[in-house]
Amino acid sequence: MGEELLAKKEVLKLTGISYGQLYRWKRKGLIPEAWFVRRATVTGQETFFPKDKILARIEQIQSMKEARSLDELVQILSPEAAPDGGHWDDPLALSPIGPQAKELLWKQDKYDFAELVALAAGAEAVRGGVPATAAQLLVQLVRTEEHILKTPSGISAVLGEKAIDRGGISVRVPFAVLAQEPVRVDHESRIVHTCDLESIVERVKLALGEVA
Amino acid sequence: MERRNVSISGTGKIGGGEYGNVRISGAGKVDGDLVAEEIRISGSGKILGSAKAKEISVSGAARFGGRVEGEVFQASGACVVEGELQTGELRCSGSQKVGGPLKAHYIRSSGTLSVGGNVDTDVFTSSGRFSINGMLSADRVEVRLVGNSTVKEIGGEHIEVRSGGGFNFQVSLSRGFRMGFAGGSLTAEVIEGDEVYLEETQADIVRGVNVKIGPGCKIKRVEYQNSLEVHSDAQVNEKSKV
Repeated sequence: MGEELLAKKEVLKLTGISYGQLYRWKRKGLIPEAWFVRRATVTGQETFFPKDKILARIEQIQSMKEARSLDELVQILSPEAAPDGGHWDDPLALSPIGPQAKELLWKQDKYDFAELVALAAGAEAVRGGVPATAAQLLVQLVRTEEHILKTPSGISAVLGEKAIDRGGISVRVPFAVLAQEPVRVDHESRIVHTCDLESIVERVKLALGEVA
Repeated sequence: MERRNVSISGTGKIGGGEYGNVRISGAGKVDGDLVAEEIRISGSGKILGSAKAKEISVSGAARFGGRVEGEVFQASGACVVEGELQTGELRCSGSQKVGGPLKAHYIRSSGTLSVGGNVDTDVFTSSGRFSINGMLSADRVEVRLVGNSTVKEIGGEHIEVRSGGGFNFQVSLSRGFRMGFAGGSLTAEVIEGDEVYLEETQADIVRGVNVKIGPGCKIKRVEYQNSLEVHSDAQVNEKSKV
């Protein structure tokens, strides 16, 4: 993986958090075990983190912990803690979905959590300039793979487009896949839109928390 | 449906299932997964499957074959949990083995604690021996060393390791009667915390904000952010302020 890594002591320095907080958040599941990358260095063993992810997560925790308890944060930030069994009737009112997703709706009401996440993924694509017909592929794909949303898999939903130019006929075929970054495609295809499911899940949980 | 209480005194065996209070005071065996309000073992008990109860107490010998979940887990005899142990409180004063991991809010051990995986808790206090194959992560770690303890890593906010100190006296069949100055020691690879105080500790790396290396320590490298004190009777090969 080509991700930039940051040593633990650098993380503490940059963010101003303490060892105590870091370990506490890890125990609570706010920082996934998978982000702790152990490496041997000249000065002995050291722990590194994927830079962008850890800094973003710590900022989230710090900005939210004023208003919410740690356990509430766990509900929002830990992928395992997905809300179960609830249904929501007005998905467009949630900020990660919004009015742009109007064309993506496929039923009147009673959307469950996975379906909301799917809509949010589609809505994000639409806001990114993807035509609704293609975004629909993304929505269909994500809503059938509910279990992925509940594990810290680091999987992205990717919308691609295959262009075929042969014998004067030129077609562009959109397709959606679930894949681990970095995604590679053949030379006739290109990636139109990538959506990090973990962050979409978080945003939906946050929005639901605000509604509730 | 009312949950049934069972009590085995003498020799007996029950099947797994849901019960009210389960008491084993002879030699008892539970053949399967056990869910109960309370499990008390004062003789020799063997639970072949997993166990879940609000309160679990062992004062004889017990072996749990799978995962154990409770709010209060108290053991004063010889107790083995082969799987994971998750409990609010763990108090053990005998010999406690956990296949691992061990998750709790509060751990107080005054006997011998050995864990195959990581230990996650808010508070860890030990005045006995421990050996932890994985990492010990806690807000507060307070250790009074008796005998030789080992852990792979310690991470937390406040870490305090003190020599058992003073006179210690042992009677054992093999070694006879011993009395002397035996403070015990701790061996770890990495110790990281905001406030760290160590005695009689051997470690590869100690990282912290305010670090005090007390008597008897042998540390290869210390990285500190704010302050470092090293006792004249301690050895630190490399120091670096980060």
